[in-house]
Amino acid sequence: MHIMEGFLPPAWCLFWLLVSAPFVIYGMYQLRILMREKREALPLLAVAGAFVFVLSSLKLPSVSGSCSHPTGTGLGAILFGPFITAILGLIVLLYQAIFLAHGGLTTLGANLFSMGIAGPLLAYAIYRGGQKVGLNTYLTVFLAAALADLFTYVVTAAQLALAFPAEVGGFVTSFVAFAAVYAVTQVPLAIIEGAVIALTFKYIIDVRAEILVKLGVLSDGVAARLQRVQA
Amino acid sequence: MENILDDYAHQNALRDVDTRLKLVLGGGAIAVGILSTAPVAPVLIAVSMAAITVFLARIPGRFYATLLAIPLSFAVLSAGVILFLQGGGEPLIALPVGGFTLTATTGSADMAALVLARTFAGMCSLFFIAFTTPMVEIFAVMRGLRLPAEFVDLAMLIYHFIFMLISEAVATHNAQEIRQGYTGFRNSLRSFPMLAGALFVRAWEKGEELILAMDARCYDGKFPLEERKDGPSPQSTAAVAAYLLAVGIIALLTRGIQIF
Repeated sequence: MHIMEGFLPPAWCLFWLLVSAPFVIYGMYQLRILMREKREALPLLAVAGAFVFVLSSLKLPSVSGSCSHPTGTGLGAILFGPFITAILGLIVLLYQAIFLAHGGLTTLGANLFSMGIAGPLLAYAIYRGGQKVGLNTYLTVFLAAALADLFTYVVTAAQLALAFPAEVGGFVTSFVAFAAVYAVTQVPLAIIEGAVIALTFKYIIDVRAEILVKLGVLSDGVAARLQRVQA
Repeated sequence: MENILDDYAHQNALRDVDTRLKLVLGGGAIAVGILSTAPVAPVLIAVSMAAITVFLARIPGRFYATLLAIPLSFAVLSAGVILFLQGGGEPLIALPVGGFTLTATTGSADMAALVLARTFAGMCSLFFIAFTTPMVEIFAVMRGLRLPAEFVDLAMLIYHFIFMLISEAVATHNAQEIRQGYTGFRNSLRSFPMLAGALFVRAWEKGEELILAMDARCYDGKFPLEERKDGPSPQSTAAVAAYLLAVGIIALLTRGIQIF
């Protein structure tokens, strides 16, 4: 769920742009180092970015029958870490605005923060944490993707509530109202996104597990064990 | 997926107008729209930008309208929240819902109308950019703005792969559909990850192929890009300046006019 062009007051557009900026700058710095060290990283990052774009423009099977789509950035964060995902998110959001008229240019900062920064940071933390305590890999991926999607939506509702607080009850009342309006589509969507990303992950392990090992997402041992379970 | 606006951008009647000029017009209209404090100027911007896109750039009107309906329906929903939450002024209507009453006041109605008008103006201006400016030309502008070369290259490569993956996704989706892959919720839930996973592996292989191709052609960290040298014509520059000045003045003059 993106905030549309023109919906946020100018001061808030600027505020979210400034909040997102350090993440983007650090991501750019990481990208430069990555490209200097591993030349093959660029095309692989590009396919990942295109994958996030295509995935987020595909319609998900949705319970309520509404047109909902996955964010896909949870997978990006698991594969490349949160800061490079912020760069991918920035490019994807720019393309969504210009190709699909989805989201907007002045709201780019706010949308980037919710979808490209807050969600991926959480997904990355959950995935790393889950791996450390030895939680089932697929369950971890499910949790990371589903909660990242949910968090993206909560942050968006908070952004809207901050910009338009209620007269009585202020931010909290407004936040509950915005969250409730979109909860109908977003909660089932988060669960489906989690399931879809976990199953996608499983498919990648079945077919090309070495990609994940090479990226440092899975250790050799875990990958071998997961593949044995399949066979 | 068939709504990729870039296809239209390559064929529209304003294709040969200078890219920077089109971006200034679209961006300027967005800026005036969100800086307005009354709904008059944004509505004017929305109508005029829609007219420019449909009549000057010759984008099919029916297609334009259906596309605009999607974001606007979300905007109406969110404006509804503002209508019943923000206060100020006299009460207009009160709706009893369950245990409590939803009240809309003149202040909140004005705010909701303003937000709706701004969103309308913003979406129409964004549609103008989307429908008239091919992405390829925006890359040249990005280079001109001295954005980091890594970023522009990554953006260009993502653009390249998007089209490759879309045709791949559509083909796979059709194949699944023919085999009843999306009949019922359970089947959809099984088919969609298969599509996403296959797409990822396919994309990865394309990426690996590209590394080889780029190495073979001595890629050194920057794609050469052809930039057009001829600037905008004086007439079109004057027209854009006049338009932005006019809507800016109207926004200033009508800043106090509220509906309720």
